Amino acid sequence: MEVWNLLLQGFGVALQPINLGWALVGVTLGTIVGVLPGLGPAVSIALLLPLTTKIDAAGALIMFAGIYYGAMYGGSTTSILLNTPGESATIVTAMEGNQMAKRGRAGPALCTAAVGSFVAGTIATVLLTVLAPQVVDLAIRFGPPEYFALMMLAFITVSAVLGNSPLRGLTALFVGLAIGIVGIENQSGQARFVFGVPQLADGIEVVTIAVGLFAVGETLYLASKLNSAVDKIESVKGSIMMTRDDWKRSWKPWLRGTAIGFPIGAMPAGGAEIPTFLSYGMEKKLAKNPEEFGKGAIEGVAGPEAANNASSTGVMVPLLTLGLPTSATAAILLAAFQQYGLQPGPLLFETNPALVWGLIASFYVGNVMLLVLNLPLIGIWIKLLEIPRPQLYAGILVFAAMGVYGMRQSAFDVFLLYVIGCMGFLMRRYDFPAAPVLIGMILGPLAEEQMRRSLAISQGSPLVFFERPLSGSILALTIVILVGPWIWNTLRKRSK
Amino acid sequence: MKTIHKGQLAVALGVAALGIAIFVGASFIPDAAGYSTVGPAAIPRLVAVGLLVAAAALLWEVLRGGFRHHDEAAERALPTHWAAFIWISVAILSYGILIEHAGFILSSVLLYVLTAAGFGSRRWGLNAAIGAVIAVIIYVAFQRGLGLSLPAGVFKGLL
Repeated sequence: MEVWNLLLQGFGVALQPINLGWALVGVTLGTIVGVLPGLGPAVSIALLLPLTTKIDAAGALIMFAGIYYGAMYGGSTTSILLNTPGESATIVTAMEGNQMAKRGRAGPALCTAAVGSFVAGTIATVLLTVLAPQVVDLAIRFGPPEYFALMMLAFITVSAVLGNSPLRGLTALFVGLAIGIVGIENQSGQARFVFGVPQLADGIEVVTIAVGLFAVGETLYLASKLNSAVDKIESVKGSIMMTRDDWKRSWKPWLRGTAIGFPIGAMPAGGAEIPTFLSYGMEKKLAKNPEEFGKGAIEGVAGPEAANNASSTGVMVPLLTLGLPTSATAAILLAAFQQYGLQPGPLLFETNPALVWGLIASFYVGNVMLLVLNLPLIGIWIKLLEIPRPQLYAGILVFAAMGVYGMRQSAFDVFLLYVIGCMGFLMRRYDFPAAPVLIGMILGPLAEEQMRRSLAISQGSPLVFFERPLSGSILALTIVILVGPWIWNTLRKRSK
Repeated sequence: MKTIHKGQLAVALGVAALGIAIFVGASFIPDAAGYSTVGPAAIPRLVAVGLLVAAAALLWEVLRGGFRHHDEAAERALPTHWAAFIWISVAILSYGILIEHAGFILSSVLLYVLTAAGFGSRRWGLNAAIGAVIAVIIYVAFQRGLGLSLPAGVFKGLL
């Protein structure tokens, strides 16, 4: 039961007043950016990266993690009341929850989303606590070829499996890898694609890319497509508490959603959309009145919301134990670790258990805080939805420009931000996913390092990746995931 | 004859151009391989090839009726207001030009007003006031709270 001792130590870190303060700041900011359209958790954490020079690693990471799951809670509020999903993972909630709100049941919808998120988040954190040391035990035996293989698997799943088109996902991935190349290369000290610009020698800042793609690109796109139609915000009438019947109908979907969400999040594949859709489908199948779905069935909010939260906690498993980010926000969190010269992975559990377990303990604390923030204080967050778009997006750009300029006080980065923003606009217009760019950019240089190390061990023979059983099977799986669907489709067409 | 979407064609060609640029650029990287036998130019070449293959596949889709699983018709149903795009472009670029001369607060106010204008709000005075309040709060919070400095510009010594 060593795990529980470690967790107890973690609580010793997380419950220090200063760290409780950072957690509260994190979950509050997270809720705000989750509610506001246009500012996601990835951008918010990226904008706050300069803080890493001023506060200690535990405080900063606890705050960033708070933003990460706070945004999940906040996002559901926007989906239910506005029917514009704040994040792709809340599309299902937007469908069913908004229907409930239209029928005057916004209160119970918000309540089942918040309590469901709490239940799922807490159970998922328990699972994370139990599972993480096991994965660490396994990962301690991994060598460079295994890490390289795992990174390839993550690359392929985040770009080719999630999203509408594998081709556009892979294109985005390669663009991200290209961005990651810029700068002084780690092992040889060789400058690549620097063009004599000192700002490029240090590499392109993650902030610039995250903010450019998500905040500036999105703002440009929305402004150019803005029609005069005004979004209708559903009002919350009556009590927000659920009735006895609502509780009876919600608790099973919460548990089932958690059971679907956590494993999918914890796999090195990631993705929060798939579990929400799976959970929605499952609840519809199991419901006593399936015809109610699409017209505001509470199960259709409870299940997917729980799945969403459980999978976002699950994403922490590969991130903390292997250093493998499988979502845009996880990639930014990895960048935050790197700001402190830390590399998440089995070694970090050895060398810095107080930090890792403090962070995990803070998830328990943060979920409790969010439940309090989101139920009694829901009225405050709803007010945020009433900010008119011109003033909202103007404010977002002021923060965005400040964060990008402030990172290293360079006007060059502002111009680069504009270029990346235009790229984000085009990607939005032609439906290229943005997450693979960030993951490629952050994970790319790490994958290159592992590849070089592997080849140094094998004295240059690329067979090293396939001879070792574990890296060989992971790479084989990667190839199956990449070309399998394509071959399957071709064969099916032939046989017709 | 299937219709070819010019925008999609441009995107595919853009990806190809990026691939070619990186491939050519990689040949200027001195390739000292060392023990691993793979030098610093190897990965850029690989990425360039990846981009070129992706570009070829995109081009194939464009010539065969457009990107798969992409609703071009829905995108076209909503007209693109290029004026808004230009307002916001001017907003960000002028920020980059002004930040080190006029200072953080003035450039932020301008960024705020121009972006709001791009979204159709022409209440210049009100927007300038909101922008100024936000900028001053950020400025003071950074300076006093975190000790990170933003350029003061014309307000040097005042705040």
